[in-house]
Amino acid sequence: MTGMTRMTGRTRVSLARIGILLRKDLRLGPRSPLVLWALIIPFVLTLLVRGVFGGLFTAEPRLGIVDQGASELVAVASELDGIEVTLLDDPTELREQVERNDLDAGWILQPGFDAAVRDGERPQLDLFVGGESLASTRIVVAVTTLDLVRGLDDAAAPVEVDLITIGDEALPLEVTVLPLFVIMAVALAGVMIPAAGLIEEKQAGTLAALLVTPTRMSEMLGAKGLLGMLLAVVAGTVTLTINGVIGVSPSVMLVAVVLGAVMMAQVGLILGSWARDINTMFAAWKSGGLILFYPVIFFIWPDLPTWPARFGPTFYFLEPVHRASVEGATLGDVWVELVVAAAICLALLPAVVAMGRRLEGRVSRRASRRDEDEVQPVA
Amino acid sequence: MTSRAGVVRAFLAKDLRIHARDRFYVVVTIVGLVFYIGVFWLLPDSVDETLHLGVHVQDAPAEALTDLVGDAEGFEVTSFGSADDLEDAVDAGDPVVAGLDLPAGFLQAIAAGDDVTVRVLLRADAPEELRPALSGMVRELAFVLVGEQPPVTAPDLETAVLGVDRAGEQLSLRDQLRPVFVVLALFVEMFALASLVAGEIQQRTITAVLTTPARISDVLAAKTVIGMLLAFSQAAIIVVATGAATRGPMLLAVALLLGAILVTGVGLIAGSLGKDFVEVVFWSFLIGLPVMIPAFGALFPGSAPGWIQVLPGHGLVEVMVRTTAYGEGFTEAFPYLGMLAAWCGLVFVLGVVLLRRRVVRL
Repeated sequence: MTGMTRMTGRTRVSLARIGILLRKDLRLGPRSPLVLWALIIPFVLTLLVRGVFGGLFTAEPRLGIVDQGASELVAVASELDGIEVTLLDDPTELREQVERNDLDAGWILQPGFDAAVRDGERPQLDLFVGGESLASTRIVVAVTTLDLVRGLDDAAAPVEVDLITIGDEALPLEVTVLPLFVIMAVALAGVMIPAAGLIEEKQAGTLAALLVTPTRMSEMLGAKGLLGMLLAVVAGTVTLTINGVIGVSPSVMLVAVVLGAVMMAQVGLILGSWARDINTMFAAWKSGGLILFYPVIFFIWPDLPTWPARFGPTFYFLEPVHRASVEGATLGDVWVELVVAAAICLALLPAVVAMGRRLEGRVSRRASRRDEDEVQPVA
Repeated sequence: MTSRAGVVRAFLAKDLRIHARDRFYVVVTIVGLVFYIGVFWLLPDSVDETLHLGVHVQDAPAEALTDLVGDAEGFEVTSFGSADDLEDAVDAGDPVVAGLDLPAGFLQAIAAGDDVTVRVLLRADAPEELRPALSGMVRELAFVLVGEQPPVTAPDLETAVLGVDRAGEQLSLRDQLRPVFVVLALFVEMFALASLVAGEIQQRTITAVLTTPARISDVLAAKTVIGMLLAFSQAAIIVVATGAATRGPMLLAVALLLGAILVTGVGLIAGSLGKDFVEVVFWSFLIGLPVMIPAFGALFPGSAPGWIQVLPGHGLVEVMVRTTAYGEGFTEAFPYLGMLAAWCGLVFVLGVVLLRRRVVRL
């Protein structure tokens, strides 16, 4: 029997065979850099954005204090909002840190400083500012320092201050970029792993070899899709966990991540069935990936009109994650988006099947040509 | 008899042809350069160190107050004709981030010791530190108006500022990001070299050429030269196009050359370890990270943490920042150049050894 007839012959889809193929991929998967890549990138991105860029955009004035006389100011300053206070023991170290711009400003509180202020002696305030500190930071530190020192003698100020906040509080950076982390995690694992796996099997010839056994293309796609989906769920869940939001509304988070993982795995299967080689896959990813990623822009900049985001399929699992993290939305609040996400997954199924058939046809034709070449008599 | 230089030249010409034919890298290189240089010139060339405050005084000209606080360095005060205008401006965040709304007869009431309440308006997303600072400022203003002395003797400004006073001359985002762009360009070229090397290993063209009079050392020399040439030229284009070449051009050239050798070494390592495109991406990223991290670290105020100071890219970034932003010379840059050169030697030798072993085992 030729490879072609075996491949086109129909056997029933076997869950056992899907399981065997999945176990093989799970066993070999960790050896592939792409799996590591897909699982590591969300961590790196989270750490980079939260730790590096988050800190960059929300830089607070940094004040160092050397307290040589158990001053009450230390406790008061430590409770201030928006000023990062560091306690040091050595005045020389404080001066060096201010000079190096590791601190914006520093106080050296001499022994008996509090008592001297209360006695109205107007003691010398050893306040230092770094040469590289901003003028506005210097003003903030100086004015805040004076106000705190005034507070030591409990004298009533000649004026009352009514602090009024205007407008809505902006969402913190880590909340607005959460959908970016989630899509990176879910899409990298969900799309790239099934796609790269299929391409590797095609290029190595193992796909054609498997299809001459009772294994069907649908089982192959099922195993690859399940692998991508599993890894996408793991990557998405871990990303939500390290961002500290999984517990806010776990049911919404989990359903959204699973739907996202299914959707991305289907995209991966379509991409892997279509692309000739890894380079083509990356080229398609770079251009086509935009369709998957662009809704993220509307979460990062919430002032933009959100209707364009609704044309992106990923919006329908990212929006529930976003709303769950911001307002603790329940399944009842986001069911419409989740149903649309599920409908997109269903709508993608025929495309996956069609691409699978196309791939099977191509592999069969190639195998037939090889068979014919092999039986060609040598002249 | 074929001279060694001739063999190396032949390899160089071949590698340049292959590189030029690879549309992926050609596009990434050109788009990258245009993007970096374009973004650089779009970025602000100065730092806004000023707090923009709005003031409204009911039934009195705001100048009475703006005169009082407006001269202080770090403040810019705008007066508003009504409380509503002030609220709208604060809400819009333009042109002010916060506002002081003073009641009618503020100055007289303060002087008379009457109860006075001042509204401090802040946008919800205003920096946290402005809350205590502006409240304190209003109270301190009131103390001054009633003739109260400050509770402490203020330090002498000249001794209070430690280090070079850069007020008004802060490092702009452009200057901070220049090393990032240079390092990213170096990274792309390192990636290109790694792909070139991995491709030759996979297609076994290296084995094929070794059946000719060419030696492994010729191949290695050609790969080194092409890697350095590509990396150095990209980095130099960015430095020149961002207007930094006039500040210490020799020192910058030396630093960029060392940086090019460093990424060439990394490219040789990644190319020797990676078997296909995905593996090359993986290894390039993993090994290239210690070269890139210091460039991002330089975006933060203050000296780099100890662990960043020992990374391979730190010397390059320090020399670039110190030369282009602060005009420092060879003397100040010497320790950083030394460290960079040491890393170059180490990484480059490792790259050559790995590639030689890989070729020999083919």
